[in-house]
Amino acid sequence: MSQPPATRRRVFAAAALTLAVIAPLAACAPGGEASDGPVELTFQTWVPNIDKAVDAFNEEHDDIHVTVEAIAAGPDGGYAKMLSAVAAGNPADVAHVGYDELATFLLNDALTDITEYAADDADKFTDWQWKTGVFNDKVYGIPQASGPVGQFYRKDVLDSLGLSAPATWDEYYEAAKVIHASDPNKYIAAFAANQAPWLMALAQQAGQPWFEAGDDSWSVAIDNPDTLRMAEFWQKLLDEDLVKVEADMSNEWYTDIKSGNVASWMSGSWAAAIISGNAPETSGLWAAAEMPQWVAGEHVSASWGGGASNVVLKGSKHPKEATEFALWMNGTPASASTLTSIGAGWPALEDKSEITALTDDPETFEFFGGQNIWDTFAVADDNVDRSWQWPPLVDTLYATLTDNVKAAVENKTPLTGAFEKTQDDMVKAMEDKGIAVAE
Amino acid sequence: MVNRRTWLTSIPVMAVMIAAAAYFLLPVLWVLFSATKSPGDLFGTFGLWFSDSPQLFENLGRLFTQDDNAYGGWLVNSLVYAGVGALFATLMATGAGYAMAKYEFKGREALFSIVLGGVLVPATVIALPLYFLLNGVSLTGTYWSVLLPGMVSPFGVYLARIYAKDSVPDEVIEAARIDGAGDLRIFYTMATRMMTPAIVTIFLFQFVAIWNNYLLPLVMLNDSKTFPVTLGLTLWNSQTQRDPMFYTLVVTGAAVSAILLIIVMVSLQRFWKAGLTAGATKG
Amino acid sequence: MTSITRSTARRKPLKQRLTLTVLLVPFVLFFAAFFVLPIGYAIVDSLFTVRSSGLGFGAPEKVFVFFENYARALATPSFVESIGRVLLFAVIEVPLMVVFSLVLALLLESGKAHFPRVFRVIYFMPYGVPGVIASLLWGFLYVPSTSPVLQILSNFGLDFTPLGGDSVLFAIANIALWGFAGYNMLIIVASLKSVPGELYEAARIDGAGEFAIIRHIKLPLLRPTVVLVTVFTIIGTLQLFVEPLVLKPLTTAINSDFTPNLAAYNQAFAQSNPNLAAAMAVIVALIAFVFSFGFLKLVNRKGNRAW
Repeated sequence: MSQPPATRRRVFAAAALTLAVIAPLAACAPGGEASDGPVELTFQTWVPNIDKAVDAFNEEHDDIHVTVEAIAAGPDGGYAKMLSAVAAGNPADVAHVGYDELATFLLNDALTDITEYAADDADKFTDWQWKTGVFNDKVYGIPQASGPVGQFYRKDVLDSLGLSAPATWDEYYEAAKVIHASDPNKYIAAFAANQAPWLMALAQQAGQPWFEAGDDSWSVAIDNPDTLRMAEFWQKLLDEDLVKVEADMSNEWYTDIKSGNVASWMSGSWAAAIISGNAPETSGLWAAAEMPQWVAGEHVSASWGGGASNVVLKGSKHPKEATEFALWMNGTPASASTLTSIGAGWPALEDKSEITALTDDPETFEFFGGQNIWDTFAVADDNVDRSWQWPPLVDTLYATLTDNVKAAVENKTPLTGAFEKTQDDMVKAMEDKGIAVAE
Repeated sequence: MVNRRTWLTSIPVMAVMIAAAAYFLLPVLWVLFSATKSPGDLFGTFGLWFSDSPQLFENLGRLFTQDDNAYGGWLVNSLVYAGVGALFATLMATGAGYAMAKYEFKGREALFSIVLGGVLVPATVIALPLYFLLNGVSLTGTYWSVLLPGMVSPFGVYLARIYAKDSVPDEVIEAARIDGAGDLRIFYTMATRMMTPAIVTIFLFQFVAIWNNYLLPLVMLNDSKTFPVTLGLTLWNSQTQRDPMFYTLVVTGAAVSAILLIIVMVSLQRFWKAGLTAGATKG
Repeated sequence: MTSITRSTARRKPLKQRLTLTVLLVPFVLFFAAFFVLPIGYAIVDSLFTVRSSGLGFGAPEKVFVFFENYARALATPSFVESIGRVLLFAVIEVPLMVVFSLVLALLLESGKAHFPRVFRVIYFMPYGVPGVIASLLWGFLYVPSTSPVLQILSNFGLDFTPLGGDSVLFAIANIALWGFAGYNMLIIVASLKSVPGELYEAARIDGAGEFAIIRHIKLPLLRPTVVLVTVFTIIGTLQLFVEPLVLKPLTTAINSDFTPNLAAYNQAFAQSNPNLAAAMAVIVALIAFVFSFGFLKLVNRKGNRAW
């Protein structure tokens, strides 16, 4: 039963190899922080290329050094990471958190009150965006950008069929019929059941908000008549096979927007960077317009998940420096311009005159056939319903909403039922957590 | 081995085997071809052949330089987690399995049953509470949080015990004792040699288990510098939504890591069968 | 097996006790720390919940709720459905896996195969590809824009959607089959090789055909191996997690509670309900125990030796 010596030698070789590998590991084990030198901050974000703005900050500051920690997008696990790190007591200092998620973070006691460091800078920012980070008169977040929604569309496809960007939802339906009739593989848009912020933007634009914080309880109206009207509209498009059931920003979908088989995308202003980055060969074929209206002549708009802010996570050892970084990055025009150009969204800075990326952005304008698309989004951003509130447990909302809408599409049951079920699920989830919900 | 008469009967056998081989090779071939493509060609050209403008070296260059050479670091991390974890798991499991086979002590069978039960516990049940426990001692986010849990292999104990029972005769131990050898020396010099096939199998089994593990590092690690390859690639995959360049990185990275481990597996293949027989037939 | 220790233990109890300690204690300590303790923690954790009050803007508090989390988990339709789904999945996957790996092993060892070593390597290879990466790869092969297979099929007018609601379980079963069939095959091959060749020779001399040899010699000898493979496959299928997690963004047919493990993960991480997640995880563990022990009991029952 004894082994040939060669085998044993190999076993030892393997052991030696692993030891050789562990040696450098031991060498780079976490050591003590240097007592002098700049304050070290970590910044968790998933915005691609945001290191450009961070590098600029580091260059200008000797006393603070910020390191970017790339994480998965918030809803895809990024928020979970942040929350568990806070619970564990070793969070990053600054984190990228959507407006929609702030109440949830507050519910989990994950945010640092930064009023004393930030309150003086309030008037640098658009009022409504600043207020998304304020709860009970305390500041918890520095706004970065909002996500006003518009339609991006393939002008070439619509032009070839004698269509222009639909200005009302009725026109949208008619255009959808024309596009699909021209080619059974062509659709006006993808129905992205996976995308809660998209579904919610449609609901937000339809009228009545879903959540409202009263004095001591929340009222929840996910199944309100306006939302159900919106659901019935999309039901009609689904029933007549006028929209393609497909996850947006998936590889299938990217193929479709390149070929023009999916001719438009209703999305936040930052989507311009995504389209031009992903489909560079379609440069010049695109245009942007406001969302179609329920009532002709209006300009009602919506936002994609509200927008994004930078927060100081609870447990950060340097809240003052962290706030300074967040204020600098989002509150100085040059940095805001960098953020805009990388596709972070519509800047939260009140005075946008110095944000060069909005006025002088030849590459983007060329991609959109010479159109200054930012004019369109300026109008959209002005017309977002400011009374829309984001509830705690927004992740539960997103999960149940997409699960229910996916199920309705999959099982061909009414879309309105998906919103009604989401209402029930959400009320139950909130009550289970001890949150007061008004009947 | 195959004579002319069996040629005829071997045709259906070979047909099935070749079909099965095609099935197992399909995703591997796809990823190898795709690793040579630009993002545009990835979606625009036939998946089982090269595109007109192969750019393998460009992709590889980008793979290893993206995010401050992150990918190379992930490979090293995976190797460290799997190699070191499996090494210690093997040491401990071999000792424990041998002890359970060759020594009688109170609660031996109960202990063995509990360890066997450990084989059946779903990984999710362990991973979440382990996060909070390790957090209590400030280990989450460190290399240790992935390394230490990998050092436990209940399956290894099971294998080691049945193998030791079978391949280390009591008479040999007894004889060595009479010659004056200490029990520990008997274990390290004689028993381990007799158990080598099982030891190698335990090591390989644990190595692959750690290398393939996703949930534990997902739960434990924050800093992408500490990620193993699996976690790193899914991080990039989650960024494909915003930036298609990452598709190429994910595909090329998957190709490289798959090839690396396939080479390891294939070259060590003969060790697997030796030890596995023990686990399979003597259980 | 008789043990040597009884006689010697009397002679040198201390020294042997010391050896036993050195050999056994490191593992027992690690096992306690990384297996037993977390399970205990999960059980305790599953008896608590975190409650907010009012609008939910203040810090929450932790309260003891006995089995409320278990009741909640079992009252959540999507969680109960997910249990049903993995059981259905096991019904598909387990026989598929066992039969496929058994057939591959028997073919390889039939003596009629050319280049058996090459084929063995090819079949075993996917075991080295991590489940996440295997799922990513198959994910590409499941959507028409990147899948050569679907493109070829569609040239023949066959439009097949592997990620549709009816087929998604098979799509996932396929990934698991691809990854583990070769490994299971290797276990079976190993135990086939341990059968003395004279046994087959004797049977052939007696005029037994190839199928008779398989039926009456190989299969009975393989019984314990096949039982082992089956138990591991059962455990694996009940823990289904990575494959649906990776495929979820690609299809409407996979929701966030697709499998019990995914539901627990979703509760713990996406919805910050670690206590409910702990209860779900404990339920998954109990089911895994019941099924694997149930299966072992069933096959080991006297008089149940069908082959």
